[in-house]
Amino acid sequence: MYFGGIDVGSLTAQAVIIKNGAICSYHSIRVKPNPVDSAKTVLEAALAQKGMQRNDLTFTVSTGYGREQIQKEGLSQENMSEISCHGKGAHSILPQVRTIIDIGGQDAKVIRVDSGGELMNFVMNDKCAAGTGRFLEVMSKTLGVTIEELGPLALKGQNFIEMSNRCSIFCETEVHHFLQRGVPREDVAAGICRTMAERVHALVRRIGVEKEVTMTGGVAKNPAVRKELERIMNVRLLSYTIDSQIVGALGAALLAQQLSGVKK
Amino acid sequence: MITLGLDIGSIFTKGLLLEGDRIRGFLLRETTGNIGSELEEMIEQLLSQSGLVRENIAAIVATGQGEDLYKGADYGEDDFVCVAAATRHLLPEVGLTIDIGGQSITTILSGPQGEVLNYMRNDKCASGSGRFIEVLGAALGVPMEEIDAVAGRSQKKIAVSTQCAVFAESEVISYVNRGESIPDLVAGVCDSVARMVISQVLRIGPVDHYTVTGGVARFQSIVEKLEERLNGRYHPFPIDPQLAAVYGAALLGREE
Repeated sequence: MYFGGIDVGSLTAQAVIIKNGAICSYHSIRVKPNPVDSAKTVLEAALAQKGMQRNDLTFTVSTGYGREQIQKEGLSQENMSEISCHGKGAHSILPQVRTIIDIGGQDAKVIRVDSGGELMNFVMNDKCAAGTGRFLEVMSKTLGVTIEELGPLALKGQNFIEMSNRCSIFCETEVHHFLQRGVPREDVAAGICRTMAERVHALVRRIGVEKEVTMTGGVAKNPAVRKELERIMNVRLLSYTIDSQIVGALGAALLAQQLSGVKK
Repeated sequence: MITLGLDIGSIFTKGLLLEGDRIRGFLLRETTGNIGSELEEMIEQLLSQSGLVRENIAAIVATGQGEDLYKGADYGEDDFVCVAAATRHLLPEVGLTIDIGGQSITTILSGPQGEVLNYMRNDKCASGSGRFIEVLGAALGVPMEEIDAVAGRSQKKIAVSTQCAVFAESEVISYVNRGESIPDLVAGVCDSVARMVISQVLRIGPVDHYTVTGGVARFQSIVEKLEERLNGRYHPFPIDPQLAAVYGAALLGREE
């Protein structure tokens, strides 16, 4: 039996298909204006990779933006919060994990789970771009690099610039001023990633850390942010082999498997 | 007596020469990362275009976020103190000044001598500041100088509800994708700025006679929305409102 998970984020959407609890196909796309369109496109792409069709899926769970609407349109049979899905997904790949730092395109969450992977508590910021993927996106644009290039560039930085602002827009002005003064781009990039890590840490502090800790979402791919966060928090972030952006969709698929027995 | 005010703001740096009630000259340029080393040359340019020399200046007062960057000033003063001094001098009956700058919103309550009784400021977040309008204008393809004209063509109300400028950018783009008109969205942005400003103003207390200063005060579409929602009486600032702080700085130079 196959189960599906669909996670529509602010910038990207993911679909994961599992069989016996293991990933057999997944796909990721840039979102479309409408979450239902994103869900349909990404799910069908994940199915097509295995030559499958929608009715091959026994049960599907949607999460993220428009998760209810996606269910109404019949693309999923149930919808669950991103918090539950990320908790579930992270626990399945790292059973020892207790704190999950999920930084997406337009929000940041810190999720605490118990030894069984059950949700204990969470905090979230979706009001301010500081400390979310959008901050890094705005900063990369200002520096003239892609978001993928920012982390590696920052790792080359020797002297971290110190940002006096938190607001992404004000940091943009500040970065321009550093560049006008001739500060090397890698030092500016290093300061940007440090500022990002500090914002994330401020959110983490509101809920507290229990080891082990891992990071999910797109920002988990930035090595400089990870390094700074490990330094500030004095912990090692556990790594894993799957794409950090599909953890939520994987959790959704696992919940689909769980729910299929209950809901028929 | 001729005094020189220097306002090193987050986005623009202004210099102004004041003699009595007469502005002998002023200069405005973008604040760069190297503004500290550009100030001397800027002052020389201002003096020469005003037909004056350094010896004519009795005092130099620096203000603004970068006031410390100019070492040649007789003294530095907080920008809200300068704005209050300018309001007191130009509009003696006004006790409340709403200053909306490039990267800040400040509400200043001042007494009969222009002394600051209380003030509130947001300079931590771009919400409602000049940069907010600039970022959203750019997202909608409308330059700053066309904001008023475009907002004037609005037919219906659209609420831009996100406070964060970066997230509001995504919000307005999603409205554009849904087919909403640019004038309606620009008007929505102006309304949103007015709401953010008013939420600060009302925290400082009841509004009686007030004025609006800072670069954003030039946007009629925003000032009108403030007027609609505030009870007190609005007094237009008699000189370019972007020069309020630098004018006040030059005024304070006389007191030395």
